[in-house]
Amino acid sequence: MSSKFSRVSSVEALREAARAQGVEPTDADLEAVRGFLATILPTLAEIEDGFGPDTAPVALFLSDQEAR
Amino acid sequence: MTLTQLAGRIRRGELSPRDAVADALARAESAQAALNAFITVRGDEALAEAEQLESHPDRGPLFGVPVAVKDVIDVAGTRTTAASRILADNVATEDSTVVARLRQAGAVVIGKLNTHEFAFGASTTSTHFGPARNPWDTDRICGGSSGGSGAVVAAGIVTGALGTDTGGSVRIPACLCGVTGLRPSTGRVPIRGVVPVSWSFDTVGPLARTAEDCALLLHVLAGVDGADPTSVRVPVPTYPDLLAPDMRGLRIGVVSHLFEGAIDPRVAETVETAVSELAGLGARVERIDALFLREADVAQQLVMLPEAAAVHLPWLRTRLAEYGDDVRVRLLAGLLLPATSVVTGQRSRRRLFEKAASLFEQHDVLVAPEMPIVAPRIGEDVVDVGGERLAYRLSLIPFNSPWSCLGLPAASVPCGFVDGLPVGMAIVGRRFDETTVLQVAHAFQQVTDWHERTPPVRA
Repeated sequence: MSSKFSRVSSVEALREAARAQGVEPTDADLEAVRGFLATILPTLAEIEDGFGPDTAPVALFLSDQEAR
Repeated sequence: MTLTQLAGRIRRGELSPRDAVADALARAESAQAALNAFITVRGDEALAEAEQLESHPDRGPLFGVPVAVKDVIDVAGTRTTAASRILADNVATEDSTVVARLRQAGAVVIGKLNTHEFAFGASTTSTHFGPARNPWDTDRICGGSSGGSGAVVAAGIVTGALGTDTGGSVRIPACLCGVTGLRPSTGRVPIRGVVPVSWSFDTVGPLARTAEDCALLLHVLAGVDGADPTSVRVPVPTYPDLLAPDMRGLRIGVVSHLFEGAIDPRVAETVETAVSELAGLGARVERIDALFLREADVAQQLVMLPEAAAVHLPWLRTRLAEYGDDVRVRLLAGLLLPATSVVTGQRSRRRLFEKAASLFEQHDVLVAPEMPIVAPRIGEDVVDVGGERLAYRLSLIPFNSPWSCLGLPAASVPCGFVDGLPVGMAIVGRRFDETTVLQVAHAFQQVTDWHERTPPVRA
Protein backbone atom coordinates (compact mmCIF):
# COMPACT_ATOMS: atom_id res chain seq x y z
CA MET A 1 0.00 0.00 0.00
CA SER A 2 2.81 2.38 0.87
CA SER A 3 4.77 2.01 -2.38
CA LYS A 4 2.65 4.53 -4.27
CA PHE A 5 3.38 7.09 -1.56
CA SER A 6 7.12 6.43 -1.54
CA ARG A 7 7.62 7.77 -5.06
CA VAL A 8 9.79 10.88 -5.23
CA SER A 9 8.03 13.96 -6.55
CA SER A 10 8.95 15.39 -9.95
CA VAL A 11 11.40 18.26 -10.27
CA GLU A 12 8.47 20.56 -11.03
CA ALA A 13 6.55 19.52 -7.94
CA LEU A 14 9.65 19.95 -5.77
CA ARG A 15 10.25 23.38 -7.31
CA GLU A 16 6.71 24.46 -6.47
CA ALA A 17 7.06 23.21 -2.90
CA ALA A 18 10.36 25.08 -2.51
CA ARG A 19 8.94 28.26 -4.02
CA ALA A 20 5.99 28.10 -1.64
CA GLN A 21 8.57 28.42 1.15
CA GLY A 22 10.43 31.25 -0.55
CA VAL A 23 13.36 29.16 -1.83
CA GLU A 24 14.47 29.04 -5.49
CA PRO A 25 16.68 25.99 -6.18
CA THR A 26 18.20 25.26 -9.60
CA ASP A 27 17.25 22.26 -11.72
CA ALA A 28 20.56 20.63 -10.82
CA ASP A 29 19.80 21.10 -7.11
CA LEU A 30 16.37 19.57 -7.51
CA GLU A 31 17.65 16.56 -9.46
CA ALA A 32 20.18 15.95 -6.69
CA VAL A 33 17.45 16.34 -4.05
CA ARG A 34 15.33 13.75 -5.90
CA GLY A 35 18.23 11.30 -5.74
CA PHE A 36 18.72 12.00 -2.04
CA LEU A 37 15.04 11.60 -1.20
CA ALA A 38 14.94 8.33 -3.13
CA THR A 39 17.26 6.87 -0.49
CA ILE A 40 14.89 7.87 2.33
CA LEU A 41 11.27 7.77 1.19
CA PRO A 42 10.84 4.00 0.71
CA THR A 43 12.01 3.40 4.28
CA LEU A 44 9.85 6.26 5.54
CA ALA A 45 6.83 4.50 4.03
CA GLU A 46 7.85 1.19 5.63
CA ILE A 47 8.23 2.82 9.02
CA GLU A 48 4.82 4.50 8.75
CA ASP A 49 3.20 1.17 7.93
CA GLY A 50 4.66 -0.44 11.06
CA PHE A 51 3.13 1.84 13.69
CA GLY A 52 0.25 0.94 15.94
CA PRO A 53 -2.18 3.74 16.88
CA ASP A 54 -0.63 4.00 20.34
CA THR A 55 2.90 4.80 19.11
CA ALA A 56 3.08 8.40 20.24
CA PRO A 57 5.99 10.55 19.09
CA VAL A 58 8.88 11.34 21.38
CA ALA A 59 8.43 14.88 22.66
CA LEU A 60 10.84 17.59 21.73
CA PHE A 61 12.90 18.57 24.75
CA LEU A 62 11.13 20.47 27.52
CA SER A 63 13.24 22.71 29.69
CA ASP A 64 13.00 22.29 33.45
CA GLN A 65 10.94 25.47 33.60
CA GLU A 66 8.58 24.49 30.78
CA ALA A 67 8.06 21.02 32.20
CA ARG A 68 6.71 22.38 35.50
CA MET B 1 52.01 13.80 26.58
CA THR B 2 48.36 13.51 27.62
CA LEU B 3 46.17 16.38 28.74
CA THR B 4 46.17 15.03 32.29
CA GLN B 5 49.98 14.89 32.30
CA LEU B 6 50.30 18.40 30.83
CA ALA B 7 47.86 19.83 33.38
CA GLY B 8 49.94 18.18 36.13
CA ARG B 9 53.19 19.68 34.84
CA ILE B 10 51.71 23.17 34.72
CA ARG B 11 50.09 22.80 38.14
CA ARG B 12 53.44 21.75 39.63
CA GLY B 13 55.16 24.77 38.09
CA GLU B 14 57.33 22.73 35.69
CA LEU B 15 55.87 24.65 32.75
CA SER B 16 54.22 28.06 32.74
CA PRO B 17 50.85 28.64 31.09
CA ARG B 18 52.50 31.09 28.73
CA ASP B 19 55.14 28.59 27.63
CA ALA B 20 52.52 25.84 27.23
CA VAL B 21 50.40 28.10 25.05
CA ALA B 22 53.39 29.42 23.06
CA ASP B 23 54.52 25.84 22.38
CA ALA B 24 51.05 24.88 21.18
CA LEU B 25 50.85 27.93 18.94
CA ALA B 26 54.23 27.09 17.41
CA ARG B 27 53.05 23.53 16.71
CA ALA B 28 49.82 24.84 15.20
CA GLU B 29 51.76 27.10 12.87
CA SER B 30 54.25 24.45 11.81
CA ALA B 31 51.56 21.87 11.01
CA GLN B 32 49.02 24.15 9.34
CA ALA B 33 50.40 23.77 5.81
CA ALA B 34 50.25 19.98 6.06
CA LEU B 35 46.93 19.60 7.92
CA ASN B 36 44.83 22.76 7.40
CA ALA B 37 43.30 21.97 10.77
CA PHE B 38 42.76 25.56 11.93
CA ILE B 39 40.43 28.15 10.46
CA THR B 40 41.48 30.82 12.96
CA VAL B 41 44.49 30.85 15.29
CA ARG B 42 44.10 33.10 18.35
CA GLY B 43 47.85 33.80 18.65
CA ASP B 44 48.07 37.14 20.44
CA GLU B 45 44.81 36.67 22.35
CA ALA B 46 45.80 33.25 23.63
CA LEU B 47 49.23 34.44 24.77
CA ALA B 48 47.70 37.42 26.55
CA GLU B 49 45.15 35.17 28.26
CA ALA B 50 47.90 32.77 29.35
CA GLU B 51 49.93 35.65 30.82
CA GLN B 52 46.89 36.88 32.73
CA LEU B 53 46.38 33.40 34.12
CA GLU B 54 49.83 33.33 35.65
CA SER B 55 48.83 35.96 38.18
CA HIS B 56 45.45 34.36 38.77
CA PRO B 57 45.13 32.80 42.23
CA ASP B 58 42.29 30.43 41.31
CA ARG B 59 43.80 27.44 39.52
CA GLY B 60 41.19 25.20 37.93
CA PRO B 61 41.67 21.61 36.72
CA LEU B 62 42.77 22.83 33.26
CA PHE B 63 44.97 25.66 34.53
CA GLY B 64 47.13 26.90 31.66
CA VAL B 65 46.26 24.03 29.32
CA PRO B 66 46.01 25.05 25.65
CA VAL B 67 42.95 23.64 23.87
CA ALA B 68 41.21 24.28 20.56
CA VAL B 69 37.53 24.20 19.60
CA LYS B 70 35.61 23.39 16.46
CA ASP B 71 34.66 26.50 14.51
CA VAL B 72 30.96 26.23 15.27
CA ILE B 73 31.57 26.99 18.96
CA ASP B 74 31.54 30.66 19.93
CA VAL B 75 34.56 32.31 21.51
CA ALA B 76 33.89 35.98 22.30
CA GLY B 77 35.73 38.34 19.97
CA THR B 78 36.71 35.58 17.53
CA ARG B 79 34.91 34.72 14.32
CA THR B 80 32.74 31.61 14.13
CA THR B 81 32.65 30.66 10.46
CA ALA B 82 31.27 27.11 10.59
CA ALA B 83 33.61 26.69 7.59
CA SER B 84 30.99 28.50 5.53
CA ARG B 85 31.02 31.51 3.26
CA ILE B 86 27.78 32.69 4.86
CA LEU B 87 29.36 33.11 8.31
CA ALA B 88 32.88 33.95 7.08
CA ASP B 89 32.87 37.32 8.89
CA ASN B 90 30.68 36.38 11.86
CA VAL B 91 32.41 37.49 15.05
CA ALA B 92 30.98 36.06 18.27
CA THR B 93 29.99 38.57 20.92
CA GLU B 94 29.83 36.08 23.80
CA ASP B 95 31.47 32.85 24.81
CA SER B 96 29.44 29.71 24.35
CA THR B 97 28.67 27.93 27.61
CA VAL B 98 31.31 25.28 26.95
CA VAL B 99 34.03 27.85 26.26
CA ALA B 100 33.04 29.80 29.36
CA ARG B 101 33.42 26.57 31.35
CA LEU B 102 36.80 25.80 29.77
CA ARG B 103 38.03 29.27 30.70
CA GLN B 104 36.67 28.95 34.21
CA ALA B 105 38.69 25.73 34.54
CA GLY B 106 41.81 27.60 33.43
CA ALA B 107 42.11 26.42 29.82
CA VAL B 108 43.27 28.73 27.03
CA VAL B 109 41.60 28.45 23.63
CA ILE B 110 44.33 28.79 21.00
CA GLY B 111 42.13 28.56 17.94
CA LYS B 112 39.08 27.51 15.96
CA LEU B 113 39.18 24.26 14.07
CA ASN B 114 38.18 23.21 10.58
CA THR B 115 34.85 21.44 10.18
CA HIS B 116 32.52 20.21 7.50
CA GLU B 117 30.50 23.24 6.36
CA PHE B 118 27.93 24.00 9.10
CA ALA B 119 28.93 20.69 10.77
CA PHE B 120 26.59 19.07 8.26
CA GLY B 121 28.67 16.26 6.79
CA ALA B 122 31.36 13.76 7.73
CA SER B 123 34.36 14.70 5.55
CA THR B 124 35.63 18.15 6.64
CA THR B 125 36.22 19.14 3.05
CA SER B 126 34.81 22.68 3.04
CA THR B 127 34.83 24.24 -0.41
CA HIS B 128 35.39 27.61 1.30
CA PHE B 129 38.27 26.78 3.67
CA GLY B 130 39.76 23.65 2.10
CA PRO B 131 39.94 20.12 3.48
CA ALA B 132 41.46 19.24 6.83
CA ARG B 133 44.05 16.50 6.25
CA ASN B 134 44.61 13.35 8.24
CA PRO B 135 47.95 13.26 10.13
CA TRP B 136 48.24 9.53 9.34
CA ASP B 137 48.12 10.21 5.59
CA THR B 138 47.59 13.75 4.39
CA ASP B 139 45.93 12.55 1.18
CA ARG B 140 43.06 11.27 3.33
CA ILE B 141 40.19 12.91 5.17
CA CYS B 142 40.06 13.33 8.93
CA GLY B 143 36.40 12.37 9.01
CA GLY B 144 33.94 14.88 10.31
CA SER B 145 32.35 17.01 10.92
CA SER B 146 34.86 17.73 13.72
CA GLY B 147 37.78 16.84 11.43
CA GLY B 148 40.11 19.60 12.61
CA SER B 149 39.53 18.49 16.20
CA GLY B 150 40.64 14.95 15.41
CA ALA B 151 43.67 16.17 13.46
CA VAL B 152 45.06 18.53 16.11
CA VAL B 153 44.90 15.93 18.87
CA ALA B 154 46.39 13.18 16.70
CA ALA B 155 49.22 15.45 15.57
CA GLY B 156 49.96 16.54 19.15
CA ILE B 157 49.25 20.22 18.56
CA VAL B 158 46.97 20.31 21.60
CA THR B 159 46.15 17.57 24.08
CA GLY B 160 42.42 18.25 24.04
CA ALA B 161 39.86 19.70 21.66
CA LEU B 162 36.11 20.15 21.46
CA GLY B 163 33.94 18.87 18.67
CA THR B 164 30.21 18.59 18.16
CA ASP B 165 28.29 15.43 17.40
CA THR B 166 24.84 15.27 15.84
CA GLY B 167 25.13 12.00 13.90
CA GLY B 168 28.72 10.92 14.62
CA SER B 169 30.77 14.08 14.24
CA VAL B 170 32.96 13.56 17.31
CA ARG B 171 33.24 9.79 17.02
CA ILE B 172 34.04 9.60 13.29
CA PRO B 173 37.08 11.93 13.31
CA ALA B 174 38.26 10.42 16.60
CA CYS B 175 38.17 7.02 14.89
CA LEU B 176 39.76 8.02 11.60
CA CYS B 177 42.50 10.07 13.31
CA GLY B 178 43.29 7.46 16.00
CA VAL B 179 42.28 9.44 19.09
CA THR B 180 39.64 9.06 21.79
CA GLY B 181 36.35 10.93 21.41
CA LEU B 182 33.16 11.03 23.42
CA ARG B 183 29.68 12.00 22.34
CA PRO B 184 27.91 12.73 25.65
CA SER B 185 24.25 11.94 26.20
CA THR B 186 21.99 14.47 24.54
CA GLY B 187 21.34 17.20 27.13
CA ARG B 188 24.43 16.42 29.25
CA VAL B 189 26.55 19.32 27.93
CA PRO B 190 24.93 22.68 27.05
CA ILE B 191 24.89 23.67 23.38
CA ARG B 192 24.20 27.39 23.90
CA GLY B 193 26.50 29.45 21.66
CA VAL B 194 27.05 26.60 19.19
CA VAL B 195 25.84 26.87 15.58
CA PRO B 196 23.01 24.30 15.53
CA VAL B 197 22.55 21.41 13.15
CA SER B 198 19.54 19.78 14.77
CA TRP B 199 18.42 20.59 18.31
CA SER B 200 17.09 17.09 18.93
CA PHE B 201 20.52 15.48 18.48
CA ASP B 202 23.23 18.14 18.87
CA THR B 203 25.91 17.55 21.49
CA VAL B 204 29.34 19.00 22.33
CA GLY B 205 32.02 16.48 23.23
CA PRO B 206 35.75 16.14 23.91
CA LEU B 207 38.48 14.61 21.74
CA ALA B 208 41.76 13.75 23.45
CA ARG B 209 44.41 11.08 23.49
CA THR B 210 42.90 9.04 26.33
CA ALA B 211 39.60 8.27 28.03
CA GLU B 212 41.10 9.73 31.20
CA ASP B 213 41.56 13.06 29.38
CA CYS B 214 38.00 12.90 28.03
CA ALA B 215 36.77 12.31 31.59
CA LEU B 216 38.58 15.41 32.79
CA LEU B 217 37.18 17.53 29.96
CA LEU B 218 33.66 16.17 30.36
CA HIS B 219 33.69 16.98 34.04
CA VAL B 220 34.44 20.60 33.15
CA LEU B 221 31.82 20.77 30.38
CA ALA B 222 28.86 18.89 31.85
CA GLY B 223 25.93 20.27 33.81
CA VAL B 224 22.71 22.12 33.21
CA ASP B 225 22.73 25.68 31.89
CA GLY B 226 19.60 27.63 32.78
CA ALA B 227 19.95 29.61 29.56
CA ASP B 228 19.92 26.44 27.41
CA PRO B 229 16.54 24.70 27.22
CA THR B 230 18.11 21.57 25.70
CA SER B 231 20.37 20.93 28.68
CA VAL B 232 19.10 18.55 31.34
CA ARG B 233 19.30 18.87 35.12
CA VAL B 234 20.93 15.60 36.17
CA PRO B 235 23.79 15.07 38.64
CA VAL B 236 27.32 15.31 37.20
CA PRO B 237 29.62 12.60 38.55
CA THR B 238 33.29 13.38 39.22
CA TYR B 239 34.30 11.36 36.15
CA PRO B 240 38.10 11.46 36.59
CA ASP B 241 37.76 9.90 40.06
CA LEU B 242 35.60 7.03 38.84
CA LEU B 243 37.85 5.35 36.28
CA ALA B 244 38.40 2.13 38.23
CA PRO B 245 39.77 -0.34 35.68
CA ASP B 246 38.11 -3.39 37.28
CA MET B 247 35.87 -4.90 34.61
CA ARG B 248 34.88 -8.10 36.39
CA GLY B 249 31.17 -8.71 36.16
CA LEU B 250 30.51 -5.95 33.64
CA ARG B 251 28.04 -7.10 30.97
CA ILE B 252 29.05 -6.12 27.45
CA GLY B 253 26.75 -6.63 24.45
CA VAL B 254 28.46 -7.00 21.08
CA VAL B 255 26.20 -5.62 18.34
CA SER B 256 26.54 -8.56 15.94
CA HIS B 257 25.05 -7.15 12.76
CA LEU B 258 27.56 -4.29 12.69
CA PHE B 259 30.41 -6.79 12.26
CA GLU B 260 28.86 -8.26 9.11
CA GLY B 261 27.83 -7.04 5.67
CA ALA B 262 28.86 -3.54 4.69
CA ILE B 263 32.15 -3.44 6.59
CA ASP B 264 35.77 -4.02 5.63
CA PRO B 265 36.37 -7.50 7.10
CA ARG B 266 39.81 -6.43 8.31
CA VAL B 267 38.19 -3.63 10.33
CA ALA B 268 35.65 -6.07 11.76
CA GLU B 269 38.43 -8.49 12.71
CA THR B 270 40.44 -5.71 14.38
CA VAL B 271 37.47 -4.71 16.52
CA GLU B 272 36.73 -8.38 17.33
CA THR B 273 40.27 -8.63 18.71
CA ALA B 274 39.63 -5.54 20.84
CA VAL B 275 36.43 -7.09 22.17
CA SER B 276 38.36 -10.18 23.22
CA GLU B 277 40.72 -7.89 25.18
CA LEU B 278 37.67 -6.68 27.12
CA ALA B 279 36.66 -10.27 27.79
CA GLY B 280 40.19 -10.91 29.03
CA LEU B 281 39.71 -8.17 31.60
CA GLY B 282 36.88 -10.12 33.16
CA ALA B 283 33.88 -8.59 31.42
CA ARG B 284 31.02 -10.91 30.43
CA VAL B 285 30.82 -10.50 26.67
CA GLU B 286 27.74 -11.65 24.74
CA ARG B 287 26.79 -11.23 21.11
CA ILE B 288 23.40 -9.61 20.73
CA ASP B 289 20.80 -9.40 18.00
CA ALA B 290 19.78 -5.76 17.60
CA LEU B 291 18.69 -5.54 13.98
CA PHE B 292 15.89 -3.21 15.02
CA LEU B 293 18.54 -0.49 15.32
CA ARG B 294 18.60 -0.24 11.52
CA GLU B 295 15.39 1.76 11.70
CA ALA B 296 17.37 4.52 13.42
CA ASP B 297 19.36 5.12 10.23
CA VAL B 298 16.34 6.73 8.59
CA ALA B 299 14.52 7.84 11.75
CA GLN B 300 17.32 10.24 12.57
CA GLN B 301 17.29 11.66 9.04
CA LEU B 302 13.53 12.26 9.25
CA VAL B 303 13.98 14.54 12.26
CA MET B 304 17.44 15.96 11.62
CA LEU B 305 16.99 17.09 8.01
CA PRO B 306 13.86 19.22 8.59
CA GLU B 307 15.34 20.68 11.79
CA ALA B 308 18.49 21.65 9.87
CA ALA B 309 16.35 23.17 7.10
CA ALA B 310 14.50 25.18 9.75
CA VAL B 311 17.81 26.47 11.16
CA HIS B 312 18.93 27.55 7.70
CA LEU B 313 15.63 28.70 6.17
CA PRO B 314 16.44 32.45 6.13
CA TRP B 315 19.70 31.74 4.27
CA LEU B 316 18.11 29.16 1.99
CA ARG B 317 15.83 32.00 0.87
CA THR B 318 18.55 34.60 0.36
CA ARG B 319 21.98 32.94 0.03
CA LEU B 320 21.30 29.50 -1.40
CA ALA B 321 24.15 29.58 -3.92
CA GLU B 322 26.70 30.23 -1.17
CA TYR B 323 26.43 26.71 0.29
CA GLY B 324 28.68 23.91 -0.85
CA ASP B 325 26.86 21.49 -3.16
CA ASP B 326 26.52 18.60 -0.71
CA VAL B 327 25.25 20.73 2.16
CA ARG B 328 22.82 22.62 -0.08
CA VAL B 329 21.26 19.40 -1.34
CA ARG B 330 20.80 17.95 2.15
CA LEU B 331 19.25 21.18 3.44
CA LEU B 332 16.87 21.28 0.47
CA ALA B 333 15.95 17.66 1.12
CA GLY B 334 15.02 18.67 4.67
CA LEU B 335 12.90 21.47 3.29
CA LEU B 336 11.10 19.16 0.87
CA LEU B 337 10.45 16.07 2.96
CA PRO B 338 6.74 15.57 3.73
CA ALA B 339 5.63 17.60 6.74
CA THR B 340 4.70 14.42 8.59
CA SER B 341 8.23 13.05 8.37
CA VAL B 342 9.33 14.66 11.64
CA VAL B 343 6.41 13.08 13.47
CA THR B 344 7.13 9.73 11.84
CA GLY B 345 10.76 10.04 12.92
CA GLN B 346 9.77 10.85 16.49
CA ARG B 347 7.27 7.96 16.59
CA SER B 348 10.02 5.68 15.32
CA ARG B 349 12.30 6.94 18.08
CA ARG B 350 9.62 6.01 20.64
CA ARG B 351 9.66 2.44 19.35
CA LEU B 352 13.47 2.41 19.32
CA PHE B 353 13.67 3.71 22.91
CA GLU B 354 11.41 0.90 24.10
CA LYS B 355 13.43 -1.80 22.36
CA ALA B 356 16.78 -0.33 23.39
CA ALA B 357 15.67 -0.20 27.04
CA SER B 358 15.45 -3.99 27.06
CA LEU B 359 18.99 -4.24 25.65
CA PHE B 360 20.30 -2.16 28.53
CA GLU B 361 18.45 -4.26 31.09
CA GLN B 362 20.78 -7.08 30.15
CA HIS B 363 23.97 -5.18 29.28
CA ASP B 364 25.90 -2.32 30.86
CA VAL B 365 27.46 -1.19 27.59
CA LEU B 366 27.29 -2.14 23.93
CA VAL B 367 30.34 -2.34 21.67
CA ALA B 368 30.66 -2.22 17.87
CA PRO B 369 33.00 -0.95 15.19
CA GLU B 370 32.94 2.85 15.15
CA MET B 371 33.34 2.95 11.36
CA PRO B 372 33.18 0.24 8.67
CA ILE B 373 36.31 1.51 6.90
CA VAL B 374 39.52 3.41 7.49
CA ALA B 375 39.91 7.01 6.31
CA PRO B 376 39.08 7.43 2.60
CA ARG B 377 41.12 9.60 0.29
CA ILE B 378 40.08 13.25 -0.04
CA GLY B 379 37.45 13.45 -2.78
CA GLU B 380 36.65 9.72 -2.61
CA ASP B 381 32.89 10.02 -2.18
CA VAL B 382 32.21 6.39 -3.08
CA VAL B 383 34.16 3.80 -1.10
CA ASP B 384 34.75 0.08 -1.20
CA VAL B 385 33.12 -1.44 1.89
CA GLY B 386 33.68 -5.15 2.14
CA GLY B 387 33.48 -5.58 -1.63
CA GLU B 388 30.47 -3.30 -2.02
CA ARG B 389 30.63 0.18 -3.56
CA LEU B 390 28.83 2.61 -1.26
CA ALA B 391 28.58 6.37 -0.81
CA TYR B 392 30.94 7.23 2.06
CA ARG B 393 28.12 9.21 3.71
CA LEU B 394 25.78 6.22 3.65
CA SER B 395 28.43 3.74 4.78
CA LEU B 396 28.85 5.33 8.20
CA ILE B 397 25.19 5.93 9.13
CA PRO B 398 24.40 2.44 10.54
CA PHE B 399 27.43 2.71 12.85
CA ASN B 400 26.57 6.16 14.22
CA SER B 401 22.90 7.10 13.87
CA PRO B 402 21.47 4.52 16.29
CA TRP B 403 23.32 5.97 19.27
CA SER B 404 22.56 9.57 18.26
CA CYS B 405 18.92 8.74 17.65
CA LEU B 406 18.65 7.26 21.14
CA GLY B 407 20.54 10.15 22.78
CA LEU B 408 23.10 7.76 24.27
CA PRO B 409 26.70 8.43 25.30
CA ALA B 410 29.14 6.83 22.86
CA ALA B 411 32.92 6.83 22.75
CA SER B 412 35.32 5.89 19.98
CA VAL B 413 38.62 4.45 21.19
CA PRO B 414 41.61 3.52 19.00
CA CYS B 415 41.89 -0.27 18.77
CA GLY B 416 44.23 -1.11 15.90
CA PHE B 417 45.29 -0.35 12.33
CA VAL B 418 44.39 -1.49 8.82
CA ASP B 419 46.70 -0.42 5.98
CA GLY B 420 48.54 1.78 8.49
CA LEU B 421 45.38 3.74 9.28
CA PRO B 422 43.53 3.83 12.62
CA VAL B 423 40.49 1.72 13.49
CA GLY B 424 38.14 2.61 16.34
CA MET B 425 35.83 0.70 18.66
CA ALA B 426 32.53 2.26 19.71
CA ILE B 427 31.50 1.89 23.37
CA VAL B 428 27.90 2.89 24.06
CA GLY B 429 26.22 3.33 27.43
CA ARG B 430 22.84 4.02 28.99
CA ARG B 431 21.61 7.61 28.80
CA PHE B 432 23.62 9.79 31.20
CA ASP B 433 25.90 6.88 32.10
CA GLU B 434 29.06 8.34 30.61
CA THR B 435 30.87 6.96 33.65
CA THR B 436 30.62 3.32 32.56
CA VAL B 437 31.54 4.18 28.97
CA LEU B 438 34.66 5.99 30.18
CA GLN B 439 35.50 3.17 32.62
CA VAL B 440 35.44 0.58 29.83
CA ALA B 441 37.48 2.82 27.53
CA HIS B 442 40.00 3.52 30.29
CA ALA B 443 40.32 -0.15 31.24
CA PHE B 444 40.95 -1.01 27.56
CA GLN B 445 43.63 1.67 27.39
CA GLN B 446 45.36 0.26 30.47
CA VAL B 447 46.11 -2.98 28.60
CA THR B 448 46.62 -1.66 25.04
CA ASP B 449 48.77 1.05 23.52
CA TRP B 450 46.84 1.93 20.35
CA HIS B 451 46.04 5.36 21.82
CA GLU B 452 49.76 6.05 22.27
CA ARG B 453 50.69 5.52 18.61
CA THR B 454 51.71 8.68 16.82
CA PRO B 455 51.15 9.57 13.15
CA PRO B 456 53.78 10.60 10.59
CA VAL B 457 52.66 14.23 10.77
CA ARG B 458 53.47 15.07 14.36
CA ALA B 459 53.93 18.72 15.31
